[in-house]
Amino acid sequence: MPLNPAEKLSREEIRQLQLERLQTTLNRAYFNVDFYRNRMDTLKLLPEDVSTFEELRRFPFTTRQDLADHYPYGLFAVPLRSIVRLKVTSPALRDRGKPIVVGFTRHDVGMWQSLMVRLYEQLGVTDRDIVQVAFNFALFPGALTFNQAGESLGATLAPSATISATLQLQIMQDFRSTVLATTAAFALHMAETMKKQRLDAGRLHLKLVLVGPDPLPEETRAHLEAAFGVPVYGLYGVSEMVEPGIAGECPEKNGLHWAEEQFLPEIVNPATGEPAPQGQEGELVITTLTAEGYPIVRYRTGDVTVLQESPCPCGRTFARISPVARRTDNRLSVRGIPLYPEQVEELLTSFDDFIEDLRLVIHTRHGVGEQLEVLLTRSQEKEFLQGGRSQYLEALRSHVRRALGLGARIQLVERDRLPKEGLIRKTIFKNTGTLYDQD
Amino acid sequence: MLKVIGLSVKYGSLQVLRRVTFHVAMGEIVALIGANGAGKSTLLRTISGVMRPFEGEIFFRDQLIQGKSVERIVQLGLVQVPEARQLFPNMTVLENLELGGYIYGHKHVAENLPKMFELFPVLAGRKLQKAGTLSGGEQQMLSIARALMTDPRLLILDEPSLGLAPLIVEEIYRTIESLSERGTTILLVEQNAMGALAVANRAYVLETGRIVLSGDARELMEHDDVQRAYLGKDYEHKWER
Repeated sequence: MPLNPAEKLSREEIRQLQLERLQTTLNRAYFNVDFYRNRMDTLKLLPEDVSTFEELRRFPFTTRQDLADHYPYGLFAVPLRSIVRLKVTSPALRDRGKPIVVGFTRHDVGMWQSLMVRLYEQLGVTDRDIVQVAFNFALFPGALTFNQAGESLGATLAPSATISATLQLQIMQDFRSTVLATTAAFALHMAETMKKQRLDAGRLHLKLVLVGPDPLPEETRAHLEAAFGVPVYGLYGVSEMVEPGIAGECPEKNGLHWAEEQFLPEIVNPATGEPAPQGQEGELVITTLTAEGYPIVRYRTGDVTVLQESPCPCGRTFARISPVARRTDNRLSVRGIPLYPEQVEELLTSFDDFIEDLRLVIHTRHGVGEQLEVLLTRSQEKEFLQGGRSQYLEALRSHVRRALGLGARIQLVERDRLPKEGLIRKTIFKNTGTLYDQD
Repeated sequence: MLKVIGLSVKYGSLQVLRRVTFHVAMGEIVALIGANGAGKSTLLRTISGVMRPFEGEIFFRDQLIQGKSVERIVQLGLVQVPEARQLFPNMTVLENLELGGYIYGHKHVAENLPKMFELFPVLAGRKLQKAGTLSGGEQQMLSIARALMTDPRLLILDEPSLGLAPLIVEEIYRTIESLSERGTTILLVEQNAMGALAVANRAYVLETGRIVLSGDARELMEHDDVQRAYLGKDYEHKWER
C-alpha cells in the first residue's frame, strides 16, 4: 500500500510543521485557557517566549492532577457550542470523584479518526477487510474510534463489543472476520477458549490481531501469535486523552510510529524533568499540536519509553517509541482496566476504618494482568459492621466492583501471612497458568 | 520554498510580529489571513527585504535572505505584488510591464511580453493606454502581470481583492488559480478571508502579530475561530450555547 504523504515527510519538514503547530497551540492555550494563562503569567512568560523546542522546556509540566482539578470544562479552549463530543476518561470514583473530561471539536474527531485509519492502513487493512472490534465500550470509550475508523476506511464491521469469547469466536468464523481488535487480556482469553473448544486457528480467516490500548509485552505477543497463527500488533494511546492512535506498529514490529504531525513527544528524566539524551529511556511527555477543544501542553504521561528517529525499513519517517514497559507511577492494569494501589487502599479503608494493611496480588498470565486479589488484615478485636465475616467480605467485594468496574477476590488473612511487597507499593505479581482452567 | 522561523519585527518599541513561523511549499497557494492591524503587511515587507526583523530567520529556496537587498531577493525569484497596485499611472501598460522585467534586460522583456498578453488578453488591447486610466480590476491585472515579468518562483500578493467589485475579485482569484496551475507558487495575503480560503490549499490566521491557527484552507473556512478572528470573541463562558 503506498504511503500517505504525511508519512514520508523529511525530518526537517516534520520539525517545521511541529514548530508551526506548537506556535498555534501555545497562542491558543494562552488566550483561551485560563489554567495555562495563569501559569504563564505567574512565570512572566508569553507564548512567543517558549516557541522553540529548547525554550518549551521552560514551560511547566501538566499532570493528571491538573486535568482532574479542572473538571469538567476548565481546560477547554473553545466554547461548548464548538464541541461535538465529550468523553470521560475513567470511572467516576477515580481521583476522588472527579473524572477527566475531554472535549473534541469536529476537527478533533476527524483528526483522531484519521490517525486510527492510518494505523489500520499501516498494517495493510483495507476496504476488503472484515473488522471485529471486541472491547468493553463502557470501560474504554476510545474503542468507538476503532469502529468509526474501520467504517471510514470502507471495511466491514462485524457485530461484536461486549459478548463472550465463545460468541466472539462463533462470529469470527461465521462472518469470516479478517481483523480482530481487542485488549491483550481478552485476546488471551479468546485463545484459551479456542484451546478448550479445540478450535483450530486454521478455521478462522484472521489476517492480523490489533491489541491495545495497554502495552503489548513480547511474551504476550508470542503467545497470541502462536494461538491465532497470525501477526499481532500493538498501538499506543494516552488513557487521559481517551483515544487510541497516537502511535502504532507497522509490519516491521520495531517500535510504534508516532503521529508526529499531531503530537510533540519529549522524553524526560522522571526524577529531574530534564530532557533525556537521544535514544535513552525516560518518561514520555506530550504536547498536542492541532487539538482544538482540549489542547494539552507538556503532559506527563507516566509512561516510560525510548524515542527513536532512525529510519524504519517500512519507509515511514515518523519517529518510533518502544513499547511502554514501565510506568513512573504505580499504575497497574488488570484486564485492561487501569488502577492505582493507593486508590484501592483508599477505597477499602474508606469502607472500613479497621483495615490495618493490605496487599494487592495481580495474577498475570503471559505478561498481562488477569485478576485482582486483595489480601487484608484487620484489627482483631473489632466486630464486623453488619453480620458476619462472609457478609462483610461480600459487601466489600461489591463496593470494589462498583468503584473499579472490576471484580476482585478479597481475603482476610493473618498479619504474618501478608507477602512482602515488591517494587510497586503494596503489590505483588503472581504468574498463574491455571486461571481459566479453573473456570 | 519559503520558510519563516520565529520572526519578530518591531517599530521602535512597538512589537508588531511575535515569533511568527510558517512556510510555503513548492506549487502551493498559501493564504495568510488576518484583520486590519494584525501585522500582515509588516510580515510581507520584512520577507521582501524592505524591513529588517529583530529576530528570526527567513529562508527562500534554502538560502537565508534576511538582510539581503530587495533587488537581490527579487533576483532570487521572490516577487511581491504590492497592496493598492502601485503602478506608474502616467506610463502606458507596455511601459509598466517593461519596467517589471527591467532588471533582467531587453531580451528577457521581449520574450516575456507576449506571454503576459496571452495570459491577460484585456491588457493586450490596452497596451498603449496610460495605466492610471484603467479600471481597478485591470490595474490589478497589470500589477500582477508586471510582477510576472520577472518569472518569479514565489509570487506574493498583498490584498489583491482590495477595493474591487465582487465579480472582478472572482476574476482575480481565477487568475491566481491559473498562475498556480502554470507552476507559480503563491502566497496570498488577505483580509478577505473567505475569498482567499476558497482558492488556497493551506492557510494561516494572523492575530495581533501571532499565528493563532493554521491548516487546510477548506477546513479553516468552517472554523468558528476564523469567524471570531473578524467579529471578536462572542462568548463569555465556555458552557454558553
